[in-house]
Amino acid sequence: MEREFLTIAKESLNELVDRLMETHQVIAPVPRNDGVVFDVISSPKEMDLEYRGHTLLPPKRFFFPEKEILFVYKVKADGVEIHDKLEELKSLRQVIIGIRPCDITGLLVLDKIFTKMFKDPYYIARRKNTLVIGLTCNEPAEYCFCVFTNSGPLLKEGFDLLLTDLGDRYLVEVGTEKGSNVVRFNPDIFSKAGERDLREREEIIREVAERIKAQKLPDFTSLYDFMRRNFNSKIWEKYGRKCLACGKCNFTCPTCHCFDVFDDPDLSLKSGKRIRVWDSCHFISFTRVASGEIFRRERTSRVKQRIYHKLCYSVDEIGIISCVGCGRCIDVCSAGIDVREVVRELEG
Amino acid sequence: MNGNPYIPKLAVIENIKDETPNIKTFRLKFLDEALQKEFNFAPGQFIELTVFMYGEAPFSISSSPFSTDFFEITVKKMGTVTSALMRKKTGDLVGVRGPFGRGWPLVEVRGMNILLVGGGIGIAPLRSAILFLLSRRRDYGDITLLYGARTPRDLVFKEELERWSEHLDVRVTVDRGDEKWRGRVGVVTVLFDELELDPKETVCFQCGPPIMMYFVTKRLLEMGFPKDHIVVSLERLMKCGMGFCGHCTISGRYVCLEGPVFRYNEVKGFLERAVEVYSE
Repeated sequence: MEREFLTIAKESLNELVDRLMETHQVIAPVPRNDGVVFDVISSPKEMDLEYRGHTLLPPKRFFFPEKEILFVYKVKADGVEIHDKLEELKSLRQVIIGIRPCDITGLLVLDKIFTKMFKDPYYIARRKNTLVIGLTCNEPAEYCFCVFTNSGPLLKEGFDLLLTDLGDRYLVEVGTEKGSNVVRFNPDIFSKAGERDLREREEIIREVAERIKAQKLPDFTSLYDFMRRNFNSKIWEKYGRKCLACGKCNFTCPTCHCFDVFDDPDLSLKSGKRIRVWDSCHFISFTRVASGEIFRRERTSRVKQRIYHKLCYSVDEIGIISCVGCGRCIDVCSAGIDVREVVRELEG
Repeated sequence: MNGNPYIPKLAVIENIKDETPNIKTFRLKFLDEALQKEFNFAPGQFIELTVFMYGEAPFSISSSPFSTDFFEITVKKMGTVTSALMRKKTGDLVGVRGPFGRGWPLVEVRGMNILLVGGGIGIAPLRSAILFLLSRRRDYGDITLLYGARTPRDLVFKEELERWSEHLDVRVTVDRGDEKWRGRVGVVTVLFDELELDPKETVCFQCGPPIMMYFVTKRLLEMGFPKDHIVVSLERLMKCGMGFCGHCTISGRYVCLEGPVFRYNEVKGFLERAVEVYSE
């Protein structure tokens, strides 16, 4: 399919966001602490679309919240009344703007995980009701390596619209029908893109890719056999000793999807909630069963679980790796564990 | 199951049977009769059971797949959900999702001799298989059940064991006897000493603590059992049952989707230590 390209002046983007806000909840990168995070905005002025690299936290929480009530229930004399929270998601209309190609790829990974054999209706509802406006990088951050995970600096799918900052304007690539409709309903905001605009984007992407390529990493998408061969490598013990098993890498990963499920009763003991919260495969309790058996007791086995899940198990499970090269796990690790170093060390 | 697979369907506790001081069998029936009629499961599959206010936990179905008016779970008091369940009475409501997972390969092993090995509460999913086998007795060769429990007091399905022994070879052992116990004493592998089995013609279904399955598997391999004649049911804490929550994964395989029943040749390739013990 021939892709449609347009441009939008920087001031006009604010106007577009203003219009979208009339009918949608808009999520955008906003400055927080030393970086930016995605949050719901009440004015386009709050947006920071010039952030470098990735946001502190991935956008997955707007599709798969860190804590989510699945349903609430009332226990009555004549039965139990269950109210499914999914109903409320049907009217959700949200836009996420400023999301990077690596994080969009993260959503594509979650799409596959949450629709594997069973369908996760909560994730699907949020995903279906969200317009994705991506934003490519002008400058990679310190730990970015998307080129080696095939998730940037440009991507072919997963966005409705994809912006590239060209200085005074954005180049806009239309990815879907949904994105095309935004253009069609706001004809005063978009202009047709020319050869020059496309060349400029190409130049920016090439430069970003070059800078990331300088790290000279192996192709992460084809490490499957290599990793399997090195399952019993001596280096894992070292990383097992290093890891603090804090779970930060899980919680900042755009594709980690593990969760715990529990009931939260009201103190009247007449009503309760079924809740799911993000969980971490680094926690010792993660594999504990009723008998007390813990299947990944050694920290080494837990360090391996995460890395192998990303690079091997994921390939078996959904056909692709689930590392998107955002580098957040490297950025946040208090023990200084760097997946790029792990792979380099295994290569010897 | 139609609709949102996270929403449990209401079921009533029709009957509760005390098996041991801390194990009970609960007979359940969906409130919605149509749902009860449609509820088909294979022996070895599991359900997610909700005790409202306390949470949800996975349990193997222990009843016969041919009993369509009800289904049963046999539960040992272990944690929050099971303790709350123990306090429930006949007529109380619980929530049920499922069935989930893959059960025993009963159809595939037709014509063969069946060796069933259960340890402790691990006999629960085997009971469902036994009841299936009894209904289809002529389709199978010799059937032997080896069952081990800690003490005579901990033996589950006591009267049924006697009834079953009319149709299959039932052998029981306990780790520690008491003054009245005149049966075998020792772990379940001691029962193998008296058995004459043809490994080529026999398939073994086992469910019990990991340590039991390790020693039983070791013994079977020594006896010359082909790897695909050894079938295990693995215990993991399946929280969602649908391949999302990650708690039951072993080397990227979801026990809730692909298991809990695996043939040993499938399990052997698993990389992690807890399972590697089976592959030595």
